[in-house]
Amino acid sequence: MALLSGLMILPTSCKKSFLDEEVINSHNTSDFQTALGLDGLVIGMYQSLKFHFNYTWAYTTTNYGVDEFTVGGDRTEQMFNSYDGNFNSLSGDVASVWDNMYGSINSANIVIKNVPVYYEGANKNTRLGEGYFMRAFDYFKLVKQFGAVPLKLEPSETIQEEFTRSPAKDVYAQIILDFTQAYDLLPATVTETGRISKGAAAHFLAKAYLFRASEINNAWNSDTKTTDLQNAIKYADLVINSGSYTLATNYSDLWNFTTVDGTNETNKEVILAAQFSNNITTQGRYGNQIHLYYPSVYQTLPGMVRDLAGGREFQRLKSTDYALDVFDRINDSRFWKSFKTRYVSNNPASAPKWTAATAPTPAQVGQAKFVGGEEAVLYIVNDAGDTRYTPLIANATNPLATDLARRKPTMFVRYFAGQPQSYLNAHGNYGVSQFVALSKFMDGSRNLVASQFGQRDGIMARLAETYLIAAEAYGRLGQYAQAIPYLNKVRDRAAYKDGENRESYVDGGISYKTNPATNATALSSYSDKNTYFESNNIPVTTTNTLTAMHLNSDGDIFNSNREFFDKIGATAQSDKFIAFVLNERSRELMGELQRWEDLARTKTLVARTAAFNSEAKPIEGKHYLRPVPQSFLDVIKNNGNALSPAEKQAMQNPGW
Amino acid sequence: MYFTLHSKPHHRQNASGGKKFLIMGISALSLLMVGTSAQAAVTFKNESLVIKKGIKNFDETVKGKITDDKGETLVGVIVKVKNTTLVTTTDANGAFSITIPSGTTNPVLVISYVGYTTQEVPVNGRANITIQIKSAINDLEEIVVVGYNTVKKSDLTGAVVSVGAAEIRSRPVTNALQAIQGKAAGVDITSNERPGQLGSILIRGVRSLTASNSPLYVVDGIPLQAGGIEAINPNDIESIDILKDASATAIYGSRGANGVVLVTTKKGKAGRLTLDYVGTATIENLNDRMDMMNSGEYIEFRRDAYRRTAYLNAVNGTNTQPIYNYPVIATQAADREIFKQDPNMLTNLDKGWVNGVFDGSLVPTTDWGDLVTRTGVTQDHVLSVSGGTDKIKAYGSFGYLNQTGTQLGQDFERYSGKLSVEINPVKWFKMGANLTATYGLQNYGFQAASASGAGNIYAAARGMLPLAIPFDANGNRINLPGGDINIQNPVLEADYNINLRKTLRTLGSVFAEVNLLKGLKYRINFGPDFSNFYNGRYQDAKSVNRDAGVPGSINNYAQLNQSNRFAYTLDHLLYYDKTINKHNFGVTLLQSSSSFREESSSLTGSKISLPNSLWYGLNTGNITGLDAFDTNLRKSTLNSYMARANYSFNSKYLLTASARWDGASQLAAGNKWDFFPSAALAWRLEQEDFMKNIKWVNQLKLRLGVGSTGNSSVDIGSTLGLLQPLTYTYGSSAQTGYVSSDASLANPIPLPNKLLSWEKTLQYNLGLDFDILKGRISGSLDVYQSKTTDLILLKKIASVNGYTTSFDNIGSTKNRGLDLTLNTVNVKTKDFTWESTLNFSTSKDEIVKLDNGDMVIDRFFIGQRNGVAYDFVKEGIWQNTPEDLAEIAKYKLNGVTFSPGSIKVKDLNGDYKIDANNDRQILGHYNPSWTGGLTNTFGYKQFDLSIFIVARYNFLIQTGAEPLQGRFAQRVVDYWTPTNPTNDYPAPNYASASGDQYVSALNYQDASFIKIRNISLGYNFTSEIAKKLTLSRLRIYAQAINPGLIYSKVKWIDPDLGGSTFNRGFVFGINASF
Repeated sequence: MALLSGLMILPTSCKKSFLDEEVINSHNTSDFQTALGLDGLVIGMYQSLKFHFNYTWAYTTTNYGVDEFTVGGDRTEQMFNSYDGNFNSLSGDVASVWDNMYGSINSANIVIKNVPVYYEGANKNTRLGEGYFMRAFDYFKLVKQFGAVPLKLEPSETIQEEFTRSPAKDVYAQIILDFTQAYDLLPATVTETGRISKGAAAHFLAKAYLFRASEINNAWNSDTKTTDLQNAIKYADLVINSGSYTLATNYSDLWNFTTVDGTNETNKEVILAAQFSNNITTQGRYGNQIHLYYPSVYQTLPGMVRDLAGGREFQRLKSTDYALDVFDRINDSRFWKSFKTRYVSNNPASAPKWTAATAPTPAQVGQAKFVGGEEAVLYIVNDAGDTRYTPLIANATNPLATDLARRKPTMFVRYFAGQPQSYLNAHGNYGVSQFVALSKFMDGSRNLVASQFGQRDGIMARLAETYLIAAEAYGRLGQYAQAIPYLNKVRDRAAYKDGENRESYVDGGISYKTNPATNATALSSYSDKNTYFESNNIPVTTTNTLTAMHLNSDGDIFNSNREFFDKIGATAQSDKFIAFVLNERSRELMGELQRWEDLARTKTLVARTAAFNSEAKPIEGKHYLRPVPQSFLDVIKNNGNALSPAEKQAMQNPGW
Repeated sequence: MYFTLHSKPHHRQNASGGKKFLIMGISALSLLMVGTSAQAAVTFKNESLVIKKGIKNFDETVKGKITDDKGETLVGVIVKVKNTTLVTTTDANGAFSITIPSGTTNPVLVISYVGYTTQEVPVNGRANITIQIKSAINDLEEIVVVGYNTVKKSDLTGAVVSVGAAEIRSRPVTNALQAIQGKAAGVDITSNERPGQLGSILIRGVRSLTASNSPLYVVDGIPLQAGGIEAINPNDIESIDILKDASATAIYGSRGANGVVLVTTKKGKAGRLTLDYVGTATIENLNDRMDMMNSGEYIEFRRDAYRRTAYLNAVNGTNTQPIYNYPVIATQAADREIFKQDPNMLTNLDKGWVNGVFDGSLVPTTDWGDLVTRTGVTQDHVLSVSGGTDKIKAYGSFGYLNQTGTQLGQDFERYSGKLSVEINPVKWFKMGANLTATYGLQNYGFQAASASGAGNIYAAARGMLPLAIPFDANGNRINLPGGDINIQNPVLEADYNINLRKTLRTLGSVFAEVNLLKGLKYRINFGPDFSNFYNGRYQDAKSVNRDAGVPGSINNYAQLNQSNRFAYTLDHLLYYDKTINKHNFGVTLLQSSSSFREESSSLTGSKISLPNSLWYGLNTGNITGLDAFDTNLRKSTLNSYMARANYSFNSKYLLTASARWDGASQLAAGNKWDFFPSAALAWRLEQEDFMKNIKWVNQLKLRLGVGSTGNSSVDIGSTLGLLQPLTYTYGSSAQTGYVSSDASLANPIPLPNKLLSWEKTLQYNLGLDFDILKGRISGSLDVYQSKTTDLILLKKIASVNGYTTSFDNIGSTKNRGLDLTLNTVNVKTKDFTWESTLNFSTSKDEIVKLDNGDMVIDRFFIGQRNGVAYDFVKEGIWQNTPEDLAEIAKYKLNGVTFSPGSIKVKDLNGDYKIDANNDRQILGHYNPSWTGGLTNTFGYKQFDLSIFIVARYNFLIQTGAEPLQGRFAQRVVDYWTPTNPTNDYPAPNYASASGDQYVSALNYQDASFIKIRNISLGYNFTSEIAKKLTLSRLRIYAQAINPGLIYSKVKWIDPDLGGSTFNRGFVFGINASF
């Protein structure tokens, strides 16, 4: 009995250890009070850079609803392009940006708070600098998208329910403070590829100054405008003159992704890139998915099948006529190095056959138009007035000599004979699924055709943009002549060199060649040529185009008749200059996930989409900012209570 | 079980159902044959005759026959001469013979038999006596299992509902949850038709706001921790007792908050040996309530979707470039343009155009569903033996279930065994063990690789375009029928995807009981619960989940996940009972420790060079490295103390009081322990003198109970601040790191809340048990009210915190309801009976308090029910009428664009703006206002017919918000066009992939339904015929499953299942006792 009653002991005397909870296979927050733990936290924090390439938000918040791109054949996220009623405070990608930036800010806040207290070791300043950089970077993204946002500068230990939005002015002040701290703390050169350097801090600091001095902030930035522009130039120059970075010799070098972590990813033009790799354990939930969004559909075309080099065609972003016409496509190599125009047959079984009506000779009737490895799909990027092509007329008994049916490859032609030039109306036989596709992000290294896990680094800052930041700042100060050398740096690089083969083409699909997943015996759709000569309809030449690209004076800008000044209503020199810089940014940075932020900050979004993007109908005064996510308005409190509809409305951006 | 990877290019497999049915029939028959040698009766040895001398000097032999109340003879009935030790039993014919010693005055026979009321029959000099004994299945005398004890139903003080073996057997079910569906008031069970999957159960509605509202399952006294009730073969269940009110569940303290389901498995019974066979065969087919557009309808739908942009340009004066400018009058050329991606679609389309006139009925429609479904066949066999003496009792069973799903690739096989032994070697000691083992093999079937894709192969097939075709002229599968890269052909996917889930579950309970003193008993229970889960997955390179269509692809995929759980409960119990005159006392004391441990591992590989190795060859011979790997360990513990006291006076007044202390490991230090008291009173009115004269009242009991229960169902480790591992590569150098939470993940780590404490529910219950008109009307009525405080919720928090969620105690809810069980015998004649059983319950929960006000984001509003829909309110569709256009113009002034054909939502604050802050409201709730089950049973001679109806009323379900883009397959809806000004669905619009801006307002449907779950017709062979077959009992029956919905407002889904498909079929069954 004594034994039994011993078993029936009272709760107070229970064995404590039985209920102690211990999780042996996971780190916990107390690790952040050690140097090793803070090193780990900083590594984890870098993951947030990958966010900007992870999923649909990467393009919906940056490259939809602009002049460069519109919606392709898959319309899933079209509301970000059209600005229609489906784009609202409940839109998922808006909340994703908001949530993830604040997640990363919390990591940065812990670094900033704990490194000075707990970190011992040589990397102390670097870690702290990385923390300041990340916080500034994340708030910069937030202010660009949302304007005023809550400023949270302390790590979270308990649930905070009440927040107010700090004005954009305060947010910018914090961003500039943090980037400056980062610049002061970070090392000039990094020992590991992908680490944040002093140069990266300077680049983004210059950019932050430029953005603060932009039109969107005109209501309050007059006091700081001039010094901001001077500082933008100062920090851009610090990057340019640091000796750490140089422009890639050939614009293609940036996109010539031959293998995972290949040489293009360590090109000295790259200032900061989100690091992706083929280490499966680091790929996380997404990998770099940008490769999915730009390609147009080729797998359903005759003679074609989907493969590693051609990629998966999500066909979300269709290039606009503006995107093609902003380039001088004869002299500016960047166009031909940014877009894919030719595919070769990798599935000859489905090649089309000559018919009696189309065959060049009777003997060819019934034979395949091409065999595997021959060109199967061509995009002809011509101008209105080109008389060489007429539409394919199905079942015509005697098609014109210019009928596409007479051609061996399947051809997509921008303007057929007699069609007028237009930016908003359809012409030629480009379609929602067949368009000239941006190829900067192609990734033939993925471990299977269907894989969404891209393995290319995502470039976040490169030196060409630093030059454009400085040039714009000079222009905004009215010092146009000083801007010219900076512009020429990128324009000269873009010119064809003497002896350069203008038909030569490369994109990241080429990494299929070094990819162990490639079936060695199978044909590939990859083509190392473009349609430069056929599109431009000029004889083969290899002389340089430097003269045509080089700006001799600001007059070359103001008197240009190919910069759409009339389309977007730019008459004053200052407006023309901004328009020119925005066009140059298009040419240099086409599709590089920045455009909307540039058009919003310069308040040129409405005019440019009206001119170039038929579907996009942004509203002045509303669409320069994203809606504050409803998930934020619905969850926060004011004096312990949920916000009333009126309070929520007051906290929302205007018009949303 | 084996797999063959089909290299055959096409043709679905034919269901081999017919053959299986034949096998089942033969096996049942063979069992009948074997049964002939089974000897049924056991005769107890007559103990030594003690003859009292001097009263009578000759012995008298009495012969007789004993039958039950239906006149059937009973075997093994114990016949004893009162006040002697003379005993005999009836033989196989129900006959007995006993010699009464001379000198016995007025001899009386005592007839006892398990399950029957013991009777005393005076001999009165008769030499031949026929005795009919009465079944003890008088509801109020049933034994009911309560926590840690059993009581007579008449002594029950809490709200407990019981489902007995007979009821469980009355329907062929594959799991125990199905068995109690609609049978117990206040217990709401939903269905799941994937073979091997369970539905969900909710007892007395929702109290907790957390995901976990599932009850505690206790099998033979051991709370299940390593899994659910699915491991128990329903045929091994003796009874299921569901504790509903807190005065009953508080005995389980922290675990009783959502109700307790006590399962008692079958045990051997003293008296006789039995051999039982139960066999069923089920044939089912998949039915779909959703009508998909046929080719003709779809073509017109697609045209309308393309016409929309031009229409909007015209009415709104906008200038948007149409994706394709489809003309108002259809043309073949324009049709060809919108279907040009697939030449096979064009071929079919052209069949509809004859001489420039379109006739949609001429365009062939592919029946995609037919290509991925088959007749589902289920066979279920259970063989059980049972027997015992007063010293040893044993039960054993073996069951085999084989279920072929109605969708290709889904099947389930289960082997189950049970053994129960109890030995009583000496009067003061008893020991016993129960062992249940179940081995389940489930082929889960195809699932799309992406989370947003089709959940099963039928759903995937339904997504195919009607005018596309599955195979090309050479018989090869077309991977993209329709030429849309997002519409992939699921036909053959059942062959290309294997998802095998093997579960081995072993449950045990071992107990020893010592009678220490008179009335004092010590018992120790030990319940190990072991579960081993094994999930092997293989996707062939040809699968649409992999590289469908890429020639020469070797990109297959295999994954092996294993986990094993070991949990145990160790209870020490002391019982003390004492009766002093009319006072009855009972005390139960408990100390209990529980432990849960789960170890899991996962391996994933792809491009396996030996595809036939499936997931069995993830080794260096076949792959160069794993794609992913993971091992994990989860542990939790619970420590408890409980004391309970019972008191009754004169069997009239009954009192129960209990107290329990629980400590849980997953709460932070300082908040681990809590206390859960309860008390209950019952008053048996019929025992009162003033009631004894009211002859028509047989039983009447009033119960009042109150109790407190708790809930600590938060994830293991959630107060510890565990970190999210994130690895980053600098260049090619991978380095491990971590952050506190990563918002980009599907389930980011919540903010650790060290202040989190127990969620507690206090519940009052008032109940009435009644039996009137000699059993013609009986049942019970319970009303209850509960209040839950310190609700635990994984609530959303502002992501500005750096976390998106946190567990928190957020407020309180209350819940009130009523449960009614009514059994009536409507007609009772010699040959014909009609009985009804009605279960009805209502439950209304309400959020009483939220610490920080309404939680819009989590959809919790003070004063509202838990689980509400909150959205814009659909009023109709904007029409092209002057009135509507005038209204649209007013909105336009505020920058809100509406057009004829778009959804008209209510402008709640009348400001001619529609925004999420002002114009959303609560639209209804997801939990039903009432649920009910009604069984009508008709008996005519040897036949019985039963009809079982279930109903759930007044609840919302989310379905019907369709984007109507015109890209994907579409169910038939009445959509708006300029010539069809409906208010039902908006105009299709190819330009808008996500549909109308307020499409979510279409999403909320009243899902109330009344459904005939099954109709059963049985035939009980008379004992004479049964005897000729050497059986003691034989019943055969046939049942129709899911004959149909009697009422449902939603036309395109089965609201019971939540999806549009359900299985309908027939069951044939046989129950035989030897």
